[in-house]
Amino acid sequence: MEKVVNDFTFNIATANGTGSQSANLILLHSMFEMGLPVSGKNLFPSNISGLPTWYIVRVSEAGYQAPGDRTHIQVLMNKATWAKDLAALEPGSVVIYNTNVKLPVERDDIIAYPVPMTKIARSLHPKLARMIANIIYVGVIAELVGIDQAVLEKAVAKQFKGKQSAIEMNITAVNLAREYVAENIEKSDPFCLEAREKDPNTFLVEGNEATALGSIFGGVTMLSWYPITPSSSLAEEIIDYIPQLRTDSEGGVTCAVIQAEDELAAAGMVVGAGWAGGRSMTCTSGPGISLMSEFIGLSYFAEVPGVIWDINRVGPSTGLPTRTQQGDVNLLYEAGHGDTKHIVLFPGTVEECFEFGWRAFDYAERYQTMVFGFSDLDLGMNFWVCDGFDYPDRMDRGKVLHTQEELDAIENYGRYRDVDGDGICYRTLPGSGLEPILTRGTGRDEDGVYSEDPAIYVATMERLKNKIDGSRTALPQPLLREEEEQEVGIIYFGSMENTIQEIDDQLESTGRKVSQCRVRALPLSPMVEEFVQNHETIIVLEVNRDGQMYGILRKELPIELVPRVHSVAFSDGIPPRARVYSDMILEKLEEVGA
Amino acid sequence: MTIKLNIIELPKSDYQGGPSSLCPGCGHDQISSVIINAAWENGIEPENIAKMSGIGCSSKTPAYFLGKSHGFNTLHGRMPSVTTGANVTNKDMQFIAVSGDGDTASIGIGQFVHAIRRNLNMVYIIENNGVYGLTKGQYSATVEVGSAKRKAEPNEQVPIDLCAMAINLGCTFVARSFSGAKKQLTALIRAAMSHRGTAVIDVISPCVTFANNDEFFRSYGYVKDNDMELHAYDYIPHFTPLGEVEIPEGEFQDIALFNGSTLRLETIESGHDTSDAVAALSQIHKAEQEKRHVTGLLYYNPGPKTLDEWLELSETPLANLSEEQMRPSETDLATLLAEFRE
Repeated sequence: MEKVVNDFTFNIATANGTGSQSANLILLHSMFEMGLPVSGKNLFPSNISGLPTWYIVRVSEAGYQAPGDRTHIQVLMNKATWAKDLAALEPGSVVIYNTNVKLPVERDDIIAYPVPMTKIARSLHPKLARMIANIIYVGVIAELVGIDQAVLEKAVAKQFKGKQSAIEMNITAVNLAREYVAENIEKSDPFCLEAREKDPNTFLVEGNEATALGSIFGGVTMLSWYPITPSSSLAEEIIDYIPQLRTDSEGGVTCAVIQAEDELAAAGMVVGAGWAGGRSMTCTSGPGISLMSEFIGLSYFAEVPGVIWDINRVGPSTGLPTRTQQGDVNLLYEAGHGDTKHIVLFPGTVEECFEFGWRAFDYAERYQTMVFGFSDLDLGMNFWVCDGFDYPDRMDRGKVLHTQEELDAIENYGRYRDVDGDGICYRTLPGSGLEPILTRGTGRDEDGVYSEDPAIYVATMERLKNKIDGSRTALPQPLLREEEEQEVGIIYFGSMENTIQEIDDQLESTGRKVSQCRVRALPLSPMVEEFVQNHETIIVLEVNRDGQMYGILRKELPIELVPRVHSVAFSDGIPPRARVYSDMILEKLEEVGA
Repeated sequence: MTIKLNIIELPKSDYQGGPSSLCPGCGHDQISSVIINAAWENGIEPENIAKMSGIGCSSKTPAYFLGKSHGFNTLHGRMPSVTTGANVTNKDMQFIAVSGDGDTASIGIGQFVHAIRRNLNMVYIIENNGVYGLTKGQYSATVEVGSAKRKAEPNEQVPIDLCAMAINLGCTFVARSFSGAKKQLTALIRAAMSHRGTAVIDVISPCVTFANNDEFFRSYGYVKDNDMELHAYDYIPHFTPLGEVEIPEGEFQDIALFNGSTLRLETIESGHDTSDAVAALSQIHKAEQEKRHVTGLLYYNPGPKTLDEWLELSETPLANLSEEQMRPSETDLATLLAEFRE
């Protein structure tokens, strides 16, 4: 039997709330420590305890980060999904199962390894047997595929940081599992791991933690938030880092954190803090954005800076709250009523989560408007390999007048008078005593005085449009990977970055060479139009049903380019699997005759 | 003629705003003029004040007072959250907020409740007329059972008493007043401006256009006839030595305010104890039963921490932090990355 080295996928089926997440992360970190390109996807239910959870660990020598197309090693712990998980396996797959669940494994085309996991766990600690059973499967896997014990122990220590008794018990459990396998199981499958040289600069981090750190290094002075999956961990990471990173020499905190009564209030606090001269943010998910929309419109019209991170989840309404989607593109771009247009940043990697975390404040203050960070559950709540974070550039605090001299230097100052011709006006802050106005969401003239004059309204709206359009070349520009052929180009954004390479390889294996353009911000850079111009057929790839980015392109591209643009959009709540999208792309190309 | 100046040598004109566009005779305009007087007499730097409001007739008024102060006419019912964000960003400013009964008791009741719960350091004035003026006179949630606006059936729904609610929430300064009671209102607003914490003043402010008939409990005539005043008030600013103030003939009680000023409560009938929340609620209940309005300082508790204190914010207001204070250093980042890479 030929060995399969470093290129297979585990699927671990457990019940929510049994402590399996710790076991799964130990597994993930162990493989990462071995220098293996590995990714983990947590598919969890909206539930505290009891409902099915799956954790997918993929080891891929090619570095693919998406969940694979199939499972090679299935761990069965959960009665509820047992039969279905078993039936889904392809012949030749491996099943590691807990015999104490007392359910049959009746397939003769797979390799089954029975282990009495709960019994082994009970021998160690009867009361905690259900939880310890999870670390037993880690030990079983380690013994079967070849995870070094020292590496595993390091991962255990990392997971249970400082809790010595938990560390010892888990290591004992791992050893018991290893012994059981050595004595009772003869390995008859081809899957094994071989350590590679680990890049010492890399580490694993969740997108939300990276965004939290980016925000902290971006100088956030106020975080308001209302708990909502999958954004809560972003706020909680900021809270956790404040004592270390945002406390002054007298012990005073330099970032206020307020858990708001709802998303309306969270957004209101962002607007209030931005108006008062702070760097303010909130984080939420789609349902929260719906509630915040009135404030978002106010921010746009009254020109108040603020930052909102939307960690997208499946919608509409409550949708599938613990599943991933890129469903809020339209919602963010045009949130609020009347004509609006917002800056939206799309990080595709954890490095960009950090970078856009701090840049968002610069853009918000530069353009005096609400700026969105667009992340999703997949990027935000799963662990990704990270090379590190670059220290931010000097802050851009935008056009703020702090002194009488600065004010005097401007001829005919008015809060909403465009003296520089870029649509961005100068502002003064409360407390400065300089040219105060009553900021409002109602019509006002260039001096900030109430006005319903139609001509003034039109001029205001034109200026706002120009202002936001001016950001097109200043925001993070698209990243292009262009093929010489320039026949087909794919436009994509956000967390799809982690699946695109595999999609590209799959397309190339059919003879299709495709260029790629990763959009990193709205409003679109002129480079996107150029990219479309340069390719005969364009596919806009996204994780939603209706092709929301595609809609924006259709609206904003010159009409003669529109016929070459096509949508491939799909969302089932699971992080994008390459095969699903490459098949859809091939189908679409055939359909349009490209 | 010499122009009269206040303690910081500013004329009253420095505290005035633009012309009002409310209906002539509107109670809200009287409140605006009291706010102007109170801020001027207290000698607050106009630039240190932030005027906050929601949406509605009352919320338009920040345009008509304190023209040298920054202000924010926010969204309907959302003034408290905007004030919260601004307050933690510049904790040294004085926040004077105006809202209405629609803005506070209906659409904004959640934010009203939570601002109080956080003891946000602000003066929260509700200009309470019992109707929605800008949308042509619909009843609001504070209108009493049996009270009837012009050409309409009497209200049958139970009113929300914002003072009772505030007291139950532990609000640290709760008063009710009447736009027509200039002396009382001025003393209460001056005291509220000297308080640290949420100071709620629910001001009955008749709507002359839609609800100033005698059958309406918030009309000028009705309130004048049915006002139960708890005390007579004398506000003595911190810059006037107490010894120089004439001692009243009857019983009185002095309340020490945060900034060193004093609110002198002169007993009218039974001496209401402003530190007794149950007594305050009882006063409100009694007035409601008698279809009257109890006015004055209902409850005062200077103890609890304000939001900014509770957050242990840096001494420098967050709006004034330098880049170095806001952004951790390169060394911090290097340390952090080293920990990740361990």
